Amino acid sequence: MKRFVFAAAMLTCAASVAALPPGPPPGPPPPYQMRPVAPAGDRLKPGGDGKTLFEVHCGYCHLTGGMGTNLLTKQRMMMGETPDKGLLANRTDLTADYVKSVVRMGKGAMPGQTKVDVTDVELDAVARYLGKAG
Amino acid sequence: MKLHLPPRVSPRTFDAMLTAAAGVVGKDWVMASDADRDAYSDVYAPGSPEEWPASAAIAPASVEEVRAIVRLANEHKTPLWPVARGKNLGYGTAAPRMAGSIVLDLGRMNRILELDAKLAYCVVEPGVGFFDLYEAVQREKLPLWLSVPGNAWGSVLGNALEHGIGYTSYGLHARNLCGIEAVLPDGDLVRTGMGAMTGNPAWHLFPMSYGPTFDLAFSQSNLGIVTKAGVWMQPAPESSLELVFDIPAAEDIGWVIDTIAPLKISGLIDQNVFVPSWLGKMVLKGQRKDFWDKPTAIPEARVQELLKEHKLGYWQVALRLYGEEGVVKAKADVVKAAMKRNLAAPPEEHWWHPGDYIHGVEITMGVPSAVPLQMSDWIGGRGAHMGFSPVVPATGKHVLDQMHRSRKIIADFDVDFYASFTIGGRFANNVNMLMYDRDNAAEVAKMRRLFDTLITETAKAGYAEYRTHLGWMDPVMDTFDFNGHALRRFGEKVKNALDPNGVVAPGKQGIWPAAYADQRGGKA
Repeated sequence: MKRFVFAAAMLTCAASVAALPPGPPPGPPPPYQMRPVAPAGDRLKPGGDGKTLFEVHCGYCHLTGGMGTNLLTKQRMMMGETPDKGLLANRTDLTADYVKSVVRMGKGAMPGQTKVDVTDVELDAVARYLGKAG
Repeated sequence: MKLHLPPRVSPRTFDAMLTAAAGVVGKDWVMASDADRDAYSDVYAPGSPEEWPASAAIAPASVEEVRAIVRLANEHKTPLWPVARGKNLGYGTAAPRMAGSIVLDLGRMNRILELDAKLAYCVVEPGVGFFDLYEAVQREKLPLWLSVPGNAWGSVLGNALEHGIGYTSYGLHARNLCGIEAVLPDGDLVRTGMGAMTGNPAWHLFPMSYGPTFDLAFSQSNLGIVTKAGVWMQPAPESSLELVFDIPAAEDIGWVIDTIAPLKISGLIDQNVFVPSWLGKMVLKGQRKDFWDKPTAIPEARVQELLKEHKLGYWQVALRLYGEEGVVKAKADVVKAAMKRNLAAPPEEHWWHPGDYIHGVEITMGVPSAVPLQMSDWIGGRGAHMGFSPVVPATGKHVLDQMHRSRKIIADFDVDFYASFTIGGRFANNVNMLMYDRDNAAEVAKMRRLFDTLITETAKAGYAEYRTHLGWMDPVMDTFDFNGHALRRFGEKVKNALDPNGVVAPGKQGIWPAAYADQRGGKA
C-alpha cells in the first residue's frame, strides 16, 4: 500500500517523475499474496470463475507486488496513468481477445503460456474477467 | 513454429504416436499446433528458438499415464523431453535439446502427497511449484520453511533435479531430495532408498538405498522420469537475524570468501550465503538506459559514480542466521568479529521473530517470488538472459582467479560484468549473468561467442560449469575430459543399457544414446 501512496505522490509532481529514474519506490515490498485454492475438477470444463482462475494461474506475477505488476506499474505511470493500473484486475481498457493473445503469444519478458499453464476454457474465463473493454 | 519431426520419424508415424498418446491422456492434452510449439520453445533463446524446437507436447496426469506414454514412445521411436513445469528460464525453458523431441509436460501432476511438520519433509509430484508448496504450508499453518531459487515460478522437483540453488540452510536443493520414484525408459517403475520396500515409512527420511544409491542419477539426467520425490524442508526457526555488509571493492571478494567459507564449513553459518555484485541491486532500480545510455559496457568510472550515488558497495553480503535467539546472537558475534578484521563499518542488523512482517521477496526466508526476474527488464525487449555458472573452491585465491578471468573476458567483449558468488560450503557457485536483446542479431552473435570463450578459458584454468543452457550442453560435457571423457562414456553405457531406443531426453547434459549419436553437437 505504502508504495502506491508514494507513487501517487510522485505523479502529482510531474517534474520529479521526469528527473527520477523510474525505479521502485523505497520501503519494504508488499507481503506474499496468497492465491485462492485452484478449483477442483475438470480443467477442460467451461464456466469457471474468471477472477479465481486469474489469481490462481496469473497470480505468480500479476497480484500486488508481483513481477508483472511492478513492470506494468512503471509502464502505466510513464504513460501518465495512476499506479493502480499496474494491476491487470484494475484495467478497464483490456479486451478479451487482447488478453488471450498476450497469454498465448507472450509480451516483452512474459513468456507465452502453455495449455497446461492455463487451458483454453480457463483462459476464456480469465479473458472475460480482465476484458472489461469487451 | 513449424513442425520439426524427430530424426528418422515419418509424418505418418509421428501422427500415429500422437493419436495413440491422445488415447492415453485425452486429445486436449496432446498439443501439436504451431502455437503450442511456440509455447514450448525457449522464449529467451540466444538466437532463433527454432534451434531447439519441440514437435509437440503431451501432458499426462498420473504415473500410469507416464508409463503408457513411454511405452508408446519406444514403439514409435519418438523421443520425449520431460519437463516438470517447464520454467528452466535462462537454461532453455521447456525446449528440448534435440529438435523434434516431444515435450512430456508433467505440470498436471501437481499433488502434494505428504506434508509432515514433525519430520520436516514433503512428498510432491513434479508439477508442484514453489508457490503451491508455500501456500499449502501457510494454509495449514505448519512450522516449515521452503528454500526457493531466485525466480520461484518453477517446480520444486524440477529445480532440485536441475541442481538449482537457494539461499537458506537448505539451499543445495538436490541434497534435499530423499527417496525418488521414477519411470525408467522401458516403462518400468522404480523407487529408490527405503521406498524399494513396499510401504516402508522411512522412504523419504533415510537418504540411501540398500546397495547402490541412485537418487541423484536421476538429476540432470536422461536415465528416467521422476514422478514423485521426498524433499526435506527447514523447520521454521524461533528467530532469525540478517546481517547486511556492504563490501566496497571488487577485490574484496577474496577476503569475504576466506572469512565466510570457514564459518559455513564449520557449521556456524547454516545458510547458502549469496554475494551479488552491485548490478544485482541496480537492475531492480530501473533500466540500463537510465544509468548508461550507450551500448558499450558501463565503464569503471561510471560504475564508481553509480556506487556512490546509490550508496552501494561493489558487493553486498546479506547473511542470515536462523535458530533460537541466544544461539543466533552468539553466532552473530562470531560473524561480526570475523568480518571486522577487514571491514570497519558494522553491518545493518534486521531481527525477525515469529509474527513479524516478512515481505514478499524475502528469498532468504523461503518466500517464493518471480520478482528477481525483473532484472530481465534491465536491457528491455524480451528480457533474454543466460547464466555462465562455474563452480570454484571456496577460497579467496580461487574466487579471485575466477573473477579476474571472467571479468577480463567479459570486458574484452564490451559487455557489463554482473557476477555473484554463492558460498555453499567448500565451494562457491559463480553466476555471471549475461543480459541481452534477443532481437539484436549482432548482440546475440556476440553473446554466443562470449559464452563459448568463457567455457573454453574457464576449463583451461581447471573449472567447469554446474548447469548450462541447451545450446552448450555438449561443449560443457566436453570439458569433463579425464581419462578420455570417462564420465560421458560411463553415462552413455548406462544410457544405452537402460534406453536402447534413446527415447528419454536424448542429449540431456551431453549424454547421447546410440540411437541418436549422430545428433551430438548438432543443431537444427
